Amino acid sequence: MRLVAMAWRNIFRQKRRTLVALSALIVGLCGLVIFQGYIGTMMKGFRDSIIMSGIGHIQVAGGEGYFEDGEFDPYAYAMRDSDQRIAAIAKEPGVQAAFPSTGFTSIAGIGDKSATLLVKGYPIDRMWFEPKSATGSSNDRPTGRFTLGKLKAGAQLAPGDRDRIVLGETAARILGAKVGDVITLMAVLPEGGLNGRDFTVAAIYASAGKDKMFAFTDYDSAVDFTGIAGAPVIHVLAKDIGSTDSIAAGLPKGASYRKWPQLATFFVQVNTMFSGFLAVIRAIILLITLFVLGNTMNRIVFERMREWGTLRALGTTKRDLLVLLVLEGSFLGLVGAALGIALGFALSALINLGPGLPFALAGQGAIFIKLHPDFSSLWINLVPAVLVAGIASYFPGRRAVALTPSECLRQL
Amino acid sequence: MALISVRNVEKQYALGKTKAPALFGVDLEVADGERLCLMGPSGSGKSTLLNIIGCIDQASSGEVTIDGERTGTLSDAKLSSFRNRTMGFIFQSFNLVPVLSVFENVEYPLLLQKLPSKERRERVLELLAKVGLSDFAKRSPENLSGGQRQRVAIARALVGKPRLVIADEPTAALDHATGTSIMKLMVEMNESEGATLVFSTHDPAVSTYAKRVVRMMDGRIVADEVTA
Repeated sequence: MRLVAMAWRNIFRQKRRTLVALSALIVGLCGLVIFQGYIGTMMKGFRDSIIMSGIGHIQVAGGEGYFEDGEFDPYAYAMRDSDQRIAAIAKEPGVQAAFPSTGFTSIAGIGDKSATLLVKGYPIDRMWFEPKSATGSSNDRPTGRFTLGKLKAGAQLAPGDRDRIVLGETAARILGAKVGDVITLMAVLPEGGLNGRDFTVAAIYASAGKDKMFAFTDYDSAVDFTGIAGAPVIHVLAKDIGSTDSIAAGLPKGASYRKWPQLATFFVQVNTMFSGFLAVIRAIILLITLFVLGNTMNRIVFERMREWGTLRALGTTKRDLLVLLVLEGSFLGLVGAALGIALGFALSALINLGPGLPFALAGQGAIFIKLHPDFSSLWINLVPAVLVAGIASYFPGRRAVALTPSECLRQL
Repeated sequence: MALISVRNVEKQYALGKTKAPALFGVDLEVADGERLCLMGPSGSGKSTLLNIIGCIDQASSGEVTIDGERTGTLSDAKLSSFRNRTMGFIFQSFNLVPVLSVFENVEYPLLLQKLPSKERRERVLELLAKVGLSDFAKRSPENLSGGQRQRVAIARALVGKPRLVIADEPTAALDHATGTSIMKLMVEMNESEGATLVFSTHDPAVSTYAKRVVRMMDGRIVADEVTA
């Protein structure tokens, strides 16, 4: 215990030097905490956007194959009892909403132009397009509805609308379609026959994704057009994202389902990339700390050589002396990391008093986002800093214990 | 049997590729309870001999036996424990640990002996009373005078009830009056605690506090006189 107390008190012997030695760690970790808060908020918004862009927290399908090629062959996975399944899922605790979707591949024609179009049908009260004037902030979005794109022309589908579509901008350009135009859709039915029907263009949407050759219509019109009773997929929205696992666990045994991390693979990839990016920054900070603290501990070891000689003469073993030095280094790391993290949290709170930090959205200007530093990442920043500081003091410590007590005492 | 037995001890310091001899075939025996002074000019080898007797340095050759233990054969851990239990050290520049209070400095050797807290406290307070520093227990060594610091060092050297106390030029950093009081205290402690005292000095006045004076010159013992 006395070694611990001595190591702790030693770090306050030369406060200015301690502060200088720790400055890299303090500034680095402070910046890292702010950056983590920024990335964390951004990724949370990104995650929620992706989940609400037509995926949902869980998808329950009519077969495992749906998740491979179901979008192109939805008839094969239609669940005849989808209404009953939806009713059962909606009663599960943690479920905000459960609703069906369907889709079909069609040939769209208008005048002398035609294009292949993938049409998706959602209940009208579960789909939404951002208005032209939207800021991109998640606060503007209605809850419990998928945001499928941003309107470029026209208006949202309204309750009771039938045989109306919202057309992707690329499809609209290829077809030369405008709001109010009537497009003829033709699709091969499951039985092999060909069905055709006119759909009115209610709106044209833009999307940053690859779904510009999509069109959206209401679920009932899609079912009516294809003649397939039952949805190939049910989307489940959780009240909060943390309920996803418990909801999935409550699904009937043998149900084919996917949770959002399995469906939002792009988000997972981006998140992994940012995690790797943060790890690299953390590694650089720790490397700088290793060199700066290693240098400081070298000086400390040299300056206090007589003290080490005295402690050894009094009966302290080489091992205990090394422990004392490593403890001192580790305490330096602990204090530096704690100060850096605390400063990071304090600055984040200060930034949040204002509008937040800017984040540029493609084509939408900058929005300001609040920082949410992650308390669960405290250990990820703290523990490596303490370990690195301990390692930084180990090698100078080895030099001290390699000398005999009298050699230490002879140092000026 | 002698408490200290030094037989044909030689010591060379490595200076780059060359070796600088410091001791040449030194033989010395010190009986239990003796008060011995190593005298000689700077560079005569008295500190080197003290360091070897105190097991804080190794002889290049020869044999050193302290309290029946051949110290050259002990591992670091055993030697550290042996020093802690058998010896007390008083240094020229006091060498107190600045981050420990007076009480904690004196207590340190007892912590290494793993004595119970109550026993440690009683022993430390007893020693601080003997050196006249009871009221200074909570102070930092940095707030003490040179004489007071050396008194703390004496208390630290004796707190573990060692068989042998080694003092290397204990008065060299003190003024004459303080040095005299420190030597008187050391003699008093030698008599009351019964520990063998071996100290070095180049000051003839300080050597008068010893019962036996061993004179050194150029790494050799040149005279060995019983003075009282």
